[in-house]
Amino acid sequence: MQRRALLGTIGATGLFPAIRPAGAQGLQRATLRLKWLAQTQFAGFYLALQRGYYREAGIDLTINPGGPNLLTENLVATGADTFGLSGGTDSVFAARERNLPIQCVGIAHQQTPFVFVVRKDSPIRTLQDFRGKTITTWFTGANYVLLGMLAQAGLRQGDFTIQPQQVSVTPFVDGQIDVVTATRYNEFYTLMTRMGRDNLRVFVPDEFGITFPRDTLIVSEQTARDKPDMVKGFLRASIRGWREALADRKAGVDAVMAVAPTLNREHQEFMLEEAGKLMVAGAAAQNGMFWIDQDAVKAAHDFLLRYEVIKSAVNLPAAYNRSFLEGLSAADRGV
Amino acid sequence: MSMRGPALAMLRLLAGLLIAGAVWEGAVIALGIRPHILPRLGMIWGAVMQAPQAYWDGFLRTLIETLIGFAMGACVGVLNGVVFFRLPTLRDMLLPIFVVSQTIPVIAFGALVVLWFGNTLMAKAIIAFYLTFFPVTVNTLLGLNSVDPRQVALLRSFGANGAQILFRLQLPMALPQTFVALRLAASLSLVGAIVGEWFGDTTGLGVLLLQAMYNENVVALWAAIFCCAILGTGFYALVAWAERRLVFWGAEQ
Repeated sequence: MQRRALLGTIGATGLFPAIRPAGAQGLQRATLRLKWLAQTQFAGFYLALQRGYYREAGIDLTINPGGPNLLTENLVATGADTFGLSGGTDSVFAARERNLPIQCVGIAHQQTPFVFVVRKDSPIRTLQDFRGKTITTWFTGANYVLLGMLAQAGLRQGDFTIQPQQVSVTPFVDGQIDVVTATRYNEFYTLMTRMGRDNLRVFVPDEFGITFPRDTLIVSEQTARDKPDMVKGFLRASIRGWREALADRKAGVDAVMAVAPTLNREHQEFMLEEAGKLMVAGAAAQNGMFWIDQDAVKAAHDFLLRYEVIKSAVNLPAAYNRSFLEGLSAADRGV
Repeated sequence: MSMRGPALAMLRLLAGLLIAGAVWEGAVIALGIRPHILPRLGMIWGAVMQAPQAYWDGFLRTLIETLIGFAMGACVGVLNGVVFFRLPTLRDMLLPIFVVSQTIPVIAFGALVVLWFGNTLMAKAIIAFYLTFFPVTVNTLLGLNSVDPRQVALLRSFGANGAQILFRLQLPMALPQTFVALRLAASLSLVGAIVGEWFGDTTGLGVLLLQAMYNENVVALWAAIFCCAILGTGFYALVAWAERRLVFWGAEQ
């Protein structure tokens, strides 16, 4: 809303015809900013939009894809976007620490969505074997998960070489590095298709007791306060879209490919499958998708605090607001 | 010059493209290069043909963003040049700020543009504009400053007023310099539009590039690169053609 206010004050609204015309009567306009470009990681939202579930909830929703240089928390905090699917619990902590007025109202991926991968024929069989090896990972949270895992195995920084991971997994495929980080739904697919699943060994953070819930649904504190029904309606429609996307994978993939037809269908099918597993894992199995598992959030928080990634404790009840999900009926939550 | 000159040049260009294509295909086959390093041209063409509408939509969208950004940049740039030429005080006040604005990496600036304008076509055009107005400003100013004062004095002695001198002497004389910047701006505005699309959008060549890059879909990446190349080369050629038509005396300088 502030964006439009700004344009209004400049008096330049007429210059920007790309701004959407007014929506149908009785509908509240809202946007959902994704954490990345259209892909089946977000299939449920696209299917819910396609099938008109947001409209049924009184929301005229526009889905805005993300990009490499966008921080969803900023866009939601400033009001440029209404809803956001942001990085994860780690980015919510970081935003709250910077006093950005955002709240997490649901969590999509209940488990750590990334794993660490080595070649099956490499000498690395346990975490201790990471000693002296070269690892690439993302310096956006995954690096701390890795450091935490290796610390449990008795390894310290300096016992191994850790490098920022670029877009491509090719350096790993070509044998230039020993360990690569891969999201289960994206890079892992590339690794599988290029090297074969049987030639890979996987280290799963959750099996070492480190769970990082990611893909967090956020709204601004103002939205949470002033429009609780819209938030609830959004969650209800999203859960419905997601349940149908996971029940009918083809419809889920089709809804995304209608928006982004150049995507590789096989990859997108795999992605939906893997993203679906992450979404119904853990506490979501009993409580429904997007459930906020307070214990998992606290564990992630304490972990990051211990490694001083966040400098001071975050007020968790204020940052993670489960009341909207709790306000939905069991049927709406799909349990 | 006879009509055979341009036709011959076109034939040579076609032959060059054919040879480049043959070398590409030959190298991939002969050296057994894997598709994720360099795919065959046929595969790239196949990727475009699989979703031609998406590539065409992306092409058009990026073209429109580029053209709007370029047009704004060209107009504002020429206007700035004239204003700064006439009002040196204003030039001393504003030009340093413009210089500073150009040192901000477009990536940093793009995040702000998204906050202000959202995922609109205009947001991309603004980034294209941001990259283009400065070189046009500087070169127009340079061109205006290089006009021979004796020619100005001559026109003035004939009773020409300021506007007449500007439009009949100074701006035309500055055109060769302005066009140097416009040719640069043609490429820069495309870069601006593509980078703009990296800040979240659904349509455009930049979106296709990004999607292909992060999915490690090398064939689609090359398909998007070729589309960008066609758009960039075509637009540059158009500006160069306009330059040859408008600045027909350019070769003399």
